[in-house]
Amino acid sequence: MSAAPDISAQAKEPEGAASSDTVRRRASHRPRAPRRRSAQVFLFFSIAIGLTGIGSLLFADLLWRSGWSSSRAVLLILFAILFLLASIGCVHGIYGFFLLRSGRERQMRQFGDFRHRSLDGANTALVFTIFNEDVRRVLAGLRAVHQSLAATGELERFDFFIISDSNEPDKWIEEEQRWFALARDLGALGRIHYRRRLVSEGKKSGNVRDFLRAWGRRYRYFIVLDADSTMSGSTIVDLVRIMETNPSVGLVQTAPRLVNARSAFGRAQQFANRLYGPIFTAGLNYWSREAGNYWGHNAIIRVEPFMNFCDLPQLPGRKPFGGQILSHDFVEAALLRRELWEVWLAPELGGSYEEGPPGIIENAQRDRRWCQGNLQHFLVLFSRGLHGNSRIHLLFGILGYLAGPLWLAFLVVSTWILWYRENTGLSEIVVGAFTPMINLSQTQHALLIFGLVMTVLFLPKVLSLVDLALDPPRRRAFGGIATAAAGAVVETVFSALHAPLQMLFHTKFVAATLAGTSVHWTAQRRGGDGTSWGAALRQHAGQTGLGLAWGALTWWLDPKSFWWFTPVLAGMVLSIPLSVITSRESVGQALRRAGLFLTPEETSPVPELDDLERQMAAPDTLHTLGTGAHRGLRQALVDPYANAIHVTMLEEKKANPQEAASFATLGVGSEGAHRLGSRLLVKGPEALTGDERLLVLSDPQLMLSLHREIWTRSPAELWTGWNLAPAKPGA
Amino acid sequence: MSAHAVGDQPGYVAGRTLDDWNAAYAKVEAYFQALRVGNRLLLGQLVSRVLDRAMDRAQSEPATAPMELAAEEMERVVTDWFAAILEVPPDESDPLLTTRGRMALLLADMPDRWQDQFLKPAPWPAEFVTAMRESFLRAGPEFQISRMDPRPIDLGPMTTLTAWGRIGWLRMLVAWVAFAVLLVIVFSMTR
Repeated sequence: MSAAPDISAQAKEPEGAASSDTVRRRASHRPRAPRRRSAQVFLFFSIAIGLTGIGSLLFADLLWRSGWSSSRAVLLILFAILFLLASIGCVHGIYGFFLLRSGRERQMRQFGDFRHRSLDGANTALVFTIFNEDVRRVLAGLRAVHQSLAATGELERFDFFIISDSNEPDKWIEEEQRWFALARDLGALGRIHYRRRLVSEGKKSGNVRDFLRAWGRRYRYFIVLDADSTMSGSTIVDLVRIMETNPSVGLVQTAPRLVNARSAFGRAQQFANRLYGPIFTAGLNYWSREAGNYWGHNAIIRVEPFMNFCDLPQLPGRKPFGGQILSHDFVEAALLRRELWEVWLAPELGGSYEEGPPGIIENAQRDRRWCQGNLQHFLVLFSRGLHGNSRIHLLFGILGYLAGPLWLAFLVVSTWILWYRENTGLSEIVVGAFTPMINLSQTQHALLIFGLVMTVLFLPKVLSLVDLALDPPRRRAFGGIATAAAGAVVETVFSALHAPLQMLFHTKFVAATLAGTSVHWTAQRRGGDGTSWGAALRQHAGQTGLGLAWGALTWWLDPKSFWWFTPVLAGMVLSIPLSVITSRESVGQALRRAGLFLTPEETSPVPELDDLERQMAAPDTLHTLGTGAHRGLRQALVDPYANAIHVTMLEEKKANPQEAASFATLGVGSEGAHRLGSRLLVKGPEALTGDERLLVLSDPQLMLSLHREIWTRSPAELWTGWNLAPAKPGA
Repeated sequence: MSAHAVGDQPGYVAGRTLDDWNAAYAKVEAYFQALRVGNRLLLGQLVSRVLDRAMDRAQSEPATAPMELAAEEMERVVTDWFAAILEVPPDESDPLLTTRGRMALLLADMPDRWQDQFLKPAPWPAEFVTAMRESFLRAGPEFQISRMDPRPIDLGPMTTLTAWGRIGWLRMLVAWVAFAVLLVIVFSMTR
């Protein structure tokens, strides 16, 4: 980064012309991180190790006082690991606090003077990856980004791509319809593009890879956005300017801010993200620097090195560890850094947003998806050539999920020790602490450790509040320091209740991943007011039962010890009402009216988010043939315009060799496909399986001929559901 | 349409029942409505034009149902018109002519701007003709196909571990050793 940017070389270079060796050679001209940096990273983590040493020593001494045993040794090891994780978080908070206090703009200095950099020749693709998402929301977000970019005057440098892997026919057709309507409405049919893969391989990373294979060489950069991402035009332009100014940078990850939450859970998460997030990301940025991480979206990536080095291979062995790399983003960042491309986090850039899950169950569902991918990183952790910081990112990802089972094991061993002590009938002989410096009773000794643990856990939150108090504009954006402090207290109580549930969920996910089994989720019936009592009962009944049983056991063993367990057991016992109540929008909005969990985006208007909200609140003007089952298939077969859009887009795929091969793979044009079409006409969509319906929808000639048949055949020869009612806007 | 009623028995038009023609009318009307021809006057005129042609054929094709005749005529009228305005020969050589025509109608914004020109014989306003002929839908820019091949990752010590996983007997051995370790732990913890 510190090297003079090789701007002229980049500007002259034909797109896609450099070989991978050239790419690597050019990047390798950047000087390595100075030795001082290594010392800084060493010191950073040494502080966490030091804290862990103190805590573990005190804990070992406490255990020693009542007699050593092998179970106590196990308990000590578990404590040390868990305390180390908490300490690392705490050190992030401490460093982040002082870094922010010394000036927020410092965070951006490493990018040089990029603000006035020209974007000439810097063609950039904005890539929205979607999979059976809320299409209206995705397109509203895209529109907001488009309009925001237009306001910067740099719109012509950017193309938009919606790259879909949706496998629900209704979603597929709705995506086409809404894409067309949006692009036409904005006069951007040559700028906003839509592509759905006929055969989805490699999930999201495969989707992006296929996009790059088809169009990647047209662009110097691409920015990945998720279905719920929104970015401001100025941030996008700044990202491109940063890349142009710093030719050794391969990827810049923004720190997306959680926004648009309405439920109590969502708003609490959003508040925590906005209040505590800055000091953590500042701390993270301090030690990771040019070997940062990639979180899968809201990041800009240099196309060329990414195409050269980041097509991920299959991992050896079988699932859950072998096969496709599921959490691709961490690995892609590590591979870029391995080839000496810099990967940066830009936490102070702003203008980067995403949405979070609305309830505890949805949050756990998301964790389930991520869990296997992160555990799989264990295989990559020791790969040759990776930067040390990349290994730390991978390790933190793994420990993020292993912490749950480790904590549970800690509690189980603690209970075991209690049970063993009561069951053997041996009286406990308490001896003095090993060091004369600590002349404390056993209870005082335990309270000292408890206090230390609480300090490590909560110090970053306190520092976040202090940082807020010292920053008047930010303080006002949170509704004032008193409001923010009250929010932090309520959020802390909630997160204390939520943490044991996370522990149990993560334990279940880790066990299921290692066993190679799936976790069953009952379908969510979400209305305007969140998780139903029935759904919560089904998901949390086990946790509630476990909490009650565990509580009864500890009470029976030792009522005094019971109280030490209550902070953990309370979350389990209250899991059902907690899940229901916190998922409710009405509760979230009541908290907002009370001034709790206010965030800067809620108190000050953000044009992109306002635009998004306006669009979602406006009446839906899409022409549809109703809302029932198979509405997408009906639309594509009956509506002459929907059919024309669909067939035209399928025909266009024939020009792409990749997609053309997919036609054959699927059986498009086969006798079997035609038989399915005939059955569909006479017996309706229910006579076909989901895959068969997708096959029919993938066959352009068949779709054309079925449309014709529906409009020319006698009703007696057609399924009655092919009613020929005219399209209605917003029906 | 009235010309066809001459000579028909009461309740019949062109030798078919009024109910049959009513069903044919509904079908043709539904199609034009699906093309978003919303103006009632224009809609009625278009449907009548198609049904007149169907009635002409009805006399000579007594075995064909009015709805079938109307549907065929509707398709023919629309396809011929697409061929004329898009300057494409109206034969079977372009199976996608109707798709292209419908797409052009949508892109030229026929429903909102040019309803009165739809199915009307030439000449058409130049702006409409240009809009129809120059409208085409592209879902993406020109492909620039390139390769992107995965590079193997040297997993280091994990390579050995994953290779061991393929050996059946070793997996069993690991399971037995793990069980033995578990026994030792249980024994040790219960002392």
